[in-house]
Amino acid sequence: MNTAFLDFFIDPVLRAPTIGSMLMCLAASFVGVLAFVRRRSLLGEALSHCAYPGVVISALITPLFFSASEEALALAVLIGAFCSGVIGLWVIDKLEHRFRVSDDAALCFVLAIFFGVGVLVASRIQITHALIYRKIQVFIYGQAATMTDSHVYMYSGLVLLSATILFCFYREIQVSFFDRQFAKSIGIRTRLVDRVLFFLLVLAIVIGIRSVGVVLMAGMLISPAVAARQFTHSLKWMFCIAGLVGAVSGFLGNFFSIALPEWGKKAGFDWDFILPTGPMILLSSVTICFFALFFAPDRGLLSRFCRIVKFRDRCILENVLKSMWRKGEGAKVSFKEFASWASYSQFFTFFLLLRLRRQGWMEKKQNLFCLTSDGRLRAAHIVRLHRLWEVYLVHMGQKAEKVHRSAEEMEHIITPELEKELTDLLKDPRQDPHHQPIPRKEV
Amino acid sequence: MKNNECALKVEQLTVNYDKTPVLWDISFEVPGGKLVGIIGPNGAGKSTLLKSLLDMTPQLSGKVEFFGEPFKKVRRKVAYVPQRSSVDWDFPVTAFDVVLMGRFGKLGLLKWPVAADREAARHALEMVGMLPFAERQISQLSGGQQQRLFIARALLQDADIYLMDEPFSGVDMATEQAIIALMDALKAKGKTLFVVHHDLSSVDRYFDWVIMLNTCLIACGPVAEVFHAESIMRAFGKEGILLGEAAKLTQTKTSGIN
Repeated sequence: MNTAFLDFFIDPVLRAPTIGSMLMCLAASFVGVLAFVRRRSLLGEALSHCAYPGVVISALITPLFFSASEEALALAVLIGAFCSGVIGLWVIDKLEHRFRVSDDAALCFVLAIFFGVGVLVASRIQITHALIYRKIQVFIYGQAATMTDSHVYMYSGLVLLSATILFCFYREIQVSFFDRQFAKSIGIRTRLVDRVLFFLLVLAIVIGIRSVGVVLMAGMLISPAVAARQFTHSLKWMFCIAGLVGAVSGFLGNFFSIALPEWGKKAGFDWDFILPTGPMILLSSVTICFFALFFAPDRGLLSRFCRIVKFRDRCILENVLKSMWRKGEGAKVSFKEFASWASYSQFFTFFLLLRLRRQGWMEKKQNLFCLTSDGRLRAAHIVRLHRLWEVYLVHMGQKAEKVHRSAEEMEHIITPELEKELTDLLKDPRQDPHHQPIPRKEV
Repeated sequence: MKNNECALKVEQLTVNYDKTPVLWDISFEVPGGKLVGIIGPNGAGKSTLLKSLLDMTPQLSGKVEFFGEPFKKVRRKVAYVPQRSSVDWDFPVTAFDVVLMGRFGKLGLLKWPVAADREAARHALEMVGMLPFAERQISQLSGGQQQRLFIARALLQDADIYLMDEPFSGVDMATEQAIIALMDALKAKGKTLFVVHHDLSSVDRYFDWVIMLNTCLIACGPVAEVFHAESIMRAFGKEGILLGEAAKLTQTKTSGIN
């Protein structure tokens, strides 16, 4: 068997888990963004554990009253999880506001108590109702594979509901999360907005625990939001990107849970199993999140590293120009001489000079290197910044012999605006503290 | 505009946090078109006064009227500038988004800002000299620039009364001068501004009316009349500290902490 990409949306067995997981991840990432920007990321962790006793108890009670059909049970479990999630929320709220317990303590407390109760009841029915026990075990680590089309309808309804609420109250949510006081002053009911967020959070968790389970749910809420934050500064786009990341990881989780063992079998391993979907979904989304942290264009580690390298490189180039300028106007230097006073390898020096020539700062005449007129101007400007900064530091009360080192760095950093301000402040000085002339600014 | 009318009237306002009085029996009236400084030591209830004017803290008793009407009826005529430190500056919005929030009060539910609102927001940004930074993420702005954003947002509200909580704290000199110039311009248009202020030395230069607080109302009136050594002593001296200590003691005793 070789499962094609499209099969995940067509095949009657695969399509329900795939679409169901994608919807669930979509809802989770929308709400996750809210919790993330509201700085309540941990609330998801606590509430997902809160939902567990609801799952257990409702699964236990429903067969007593209704027929034990799969659909009835699925719905009852949703309602049960929702109710116990809301109760958990209420307890957290009371602990924080009525009893002045700090929020992390309240979250831990509620998480442990509720999950504990759930486990307690579950371990009891393990003996008395073995069948039900097996069904609810699914909710701890999640199991998408047994989802049916009716789950998908239920989930798409819930996703639609939370997306609509988000869309309609986007402005109210944005302003009251950013600036609560101001929101109150223009008549937005911030408590209500908070309630809506919490309601959506419980809803997303209730949708989610079927496929990723109570233990992993919090990660699913937050990791798309963290990934999206790396790419954008706008809340709108954060929702879009997080939604995309969520849906994609929902798909990838399902895809890899089947494809990985298949690939393993092809490679000759004895892999006769299907990987659990929940952890695979979470792993996919965390992987995307890591990629974002490393490779995001603006805030990513890689681009920051590149910027550092670029800056260092500019410093080296500018230092070479500066040393050439100090040799005096029209000074010519052979490669050998160059290599002797630059502290780099010959190879590096060769490329340095090559680049300087290609950029038009230096030229080569009869095997001797000299500055072009552009190069001389640029070098003079660097020296000017260096000496201006020295004058400024001495002006601020530093000793003249100590200012050189700082100026060595600042000469590459000072912006034109800063230069202008320095020039005005120091009344365009002619000499630096070491009685060297400061090159004039070219006009 | 409403120059002669009484812009703000407060009668016997008392606010408690738990059982500690923060504001105690405050009554005053301020005519329209004034630039009013609210002065007092730390913990004197200056911010609380602003918040209770805006119905944000539960009042134990008292009545607040803007132009003779309760706040709920004139909400759109009042613009509030919270303390800069009260918001999360890492929040994913741009400077422009923040200013646009000034229009959210006028838009009802399920209405979105239109082109005119955006243009007005750009104009407000320009007035505070922040237009070049419109698309900047707010965490990349300096303290002074962040404060200018808040002022721009208040300008966009197009209110008659402005309540500003410490607009000068942690801003550079240039921003302070720019804000003062804007305030004077607003005053010239007949608006009334209430500004919580810290620096005693600049009170007589900046404001023409002053409210001095230390839990109780110390003085309220034109700067030239009420802002003098004796009232400053009463607001900032030992007398006020005693009241604060007594309040703290009451709190600990009645709530059973100690």
